[in-house]
Amino acid sequence: MTGEAIVETEELTKRYAGGTLAVDRVSFQVKAGEVFGFLGPNGAGKTTTIMMLTTLIRPTSGRATVCGRDVVASPHWVRQQLGYVSQDVAVDESLTGWENLYLQGRLYHLEPAVLRQRVGELLATVELEEPAHRPVATYSGGMRKRLDIAAGLIHRPRLLFLDEPTLGLDIQTRSRIWEYIRRMRDEHGVTVFLTTHYMEEADRLCDRVAIIDHGRIVALDTPAALKQALGGDLVTIRLAHPGPVPGGVGGGRPPLDRPAGDGQQAGHEAGHEALKALAAEMARLPLVESVQPGADSTVQLVVREGERATPVLLDFLSSRRVRVESVALKRPTLDDVFLRYTGRQLRDDEGAAAYHRMARAVRRVRG
Amino acid sequence: MSGTGIASAAADAYPVGSRWTTLPADTWWICWRELKRLWGQKIRIFMTLIQPLIWLALMGNMFQRIAAIPGFPARSYLDYMAPGIVTMVTLFGGIFGGLGIVWDRRLGYLQKLLAAPISRTAVVTGKMLAIAVQTAFQALVIFALALAMGVHFAAGVAGVPVLLLLAVLLSQVFAGISLCLGAVLTSHEALMAVVNFLTMPLMFTSNAMMPLDMMPAWLAKLAVLNPLSYAINPMRSLFLTGWDWAGLARGLVVLALSGLIMTAAASSLFRRSMA
Ligand SMILES: Nc1ncnc2c1ncn2[C@@H]1O[C@H](COP(=O)(O)OP(=O)(O)O)[C@@H](O)[C@H]1O
Ligand SMILES: [Mg+2]
Repeated sequence: MTGEAIVETEELTKRYAGGTLAVDRVSFQVKAGEVFGFLGPNGAGKTTTIMMLTTLIRPTSGRATVCGRDVVASPHWVRQQLGYVSQDVAVDESLTGWENLYLQGRLYHLEPAVLRQRVGELLATVELEEPAHRPVATYSGGMRKRLDIAAGLIHRPRLLFLDEPTLGLDIQTRSRIWEYIRRMRDEHGVTVFLTTHYMEEADRLCDRVAIIDHGRIVALDTPAALKQALGGDLVTIRLAHPGPVPGGVGGGRPPLDRPAGDGQQAGHEAGHEALKALAAEMARLPLVESVQPGADSTVQLVVREGERATPVLLDFLSSRRVRVESVALKRPTLDDVFLRYTGRQLRDDEGAAAYHRMARAVRRVRG
Repeated sequence: MSGTGIASAAADAYPVGSRWTTLPADTWWICWRELKRLWGQKIRIFMTLIQPLIWLALMGNMFQRIAAIPGFPARSYLDYMAPGIVTMVTLFGGIFGGLGIVWDRRLGYLQKLLAAPISRTAVVTGKMLAIAVQTAFQALVIFALALAMGVHFAAGVAGVPVLLLLAVLLSQVFAGISLCLGAVLTSHEALMAVVNFLTMPLMFTSNAMMPLDMMPAWLAKLAVLNPLSYAINPMRSLFLTGWDWAGLARGLVVLALSGLIMTAAASSLFRRSMA
């Protein structure tokens, strides 16, 4: 890898006309030849960032260079260098797959002979040779997305922007698209800048990941380093009941200001107190890095060497006569990294949205 | 690694061109897309042709007696109406033709076009060119139908390309209006409402169906401001009397200028809408 920066931003900012601060003083570099990911929930500012880098919207302030030139000063030049696959599946339904690619090549001013050959190659790459001469209206969602990605590659850009390339696709299509992305990088040296809100996608595909939330980059590193920075493995212990805490360890502490689950009663509050006391004791055990008592009688721990730490924890709990209902040990994921830096789970937004939809539906039915 | 190798190859292969030098080619390829889309919707082509045919047949019969009113300038109402129907079809083709840009924007296709190194103006001129081609084709078919129904064309064969040119220039004025609206309004519903609101007054404040001197005075004054009148007058001369050079020149100049102004306005509004 050359390591030279192919995208560089300094304090890049976008405030929309309505006042929304979508991207807030973001600075980062993408190195030539890497797969670079923007990971963040809906509304984090991923698309806005890509649209500034692809010259589709002007930054409010700050600076961005793509392939060495400023996006505001040389938009036309920048457009020639990059490929862009938007989060909308922007293929023309009334044209065939072949015609879509041919038109795209014409808009990049390719010679007809070169273009015909390349359209054939790309259709083979994304496995759309057989339906190539059918109108796109007859294609499935996955086929359209593959065609869309092929269109982004028609002029062999050295830098490809993929905005949520696997949004809403089934698992098989998703892993196929991951495969194309890897091959583009490995075989053609294309630098890939992608956005996603799928933690797994960022983890498996990206060389480096920037975690973005509310328009700010909160962490940027390789997925391995981000996870390592959490300090170890994650152990989640669910207790059968919070249990009485002997010896009054930490009993006099004020209650945590974090509200329990969904606003429960005083009895639960006492249980939570007990849980906190227990957690404080566990924090002093060997290999334990940090402890967080959660809702529902669970305790979350970050430990070194999870396999060795787990028996120690269980021994301790049984010595306190606390019954354990379940134990989970897992390596940290980018979800956990996101949680650490933002205090929220990456999936929360989707979960909450689904919950509200359901609640509304229920209300309507009961109405 | 290979990243830089590809990079320099790409930079060599596609020389940096100014955005104006590619305007004609970009316009043509945007137009190519529009025409392909249109061709894919055979039913739409069919409807745009069947509609004027029905008008010709119905109006020719219903209003036949108007031609008998003293002072009516034509042998038959059908002779009088034929150019009116050409302009009416042109009006609808033009003013609805630019609305697709709203869907392009909503479906993200517009963004994809604009991420390509094409001239921004080509997005507007390409759509206008497609409307011009469509209009020429429709006008030709209506003209043939009218002849088949016994309509008299005084200007002879040489008048046919002039008739088509008038129709095409007129279509550009309305395509420009349509694209201006499409650049400003992003809701398809609002757009349809505005366009529907515009078309009827445009029809009835022109002399498409009635001679100016048979209209109330205030309406006749409005008709002078209506671009439709500048196409209908010379077209009607071609049908009824032959070559009226002064009227023809005035019509061509007014329509060409209005078309240019609308093109410029649409490109400018469109660029601004993408800022
Ligand atoms: N055209 C726009 N006008 C006003 N606000 C916008 C516009 N586009 C996006 N936003 C807002 O900017 C924020 C970031 O949006 P976006 O960049 O699309 O996020 P992401 O792609 O990460 O989901 C959101 O709060 C969104 O509502
Ligand atoms: Mg987005």
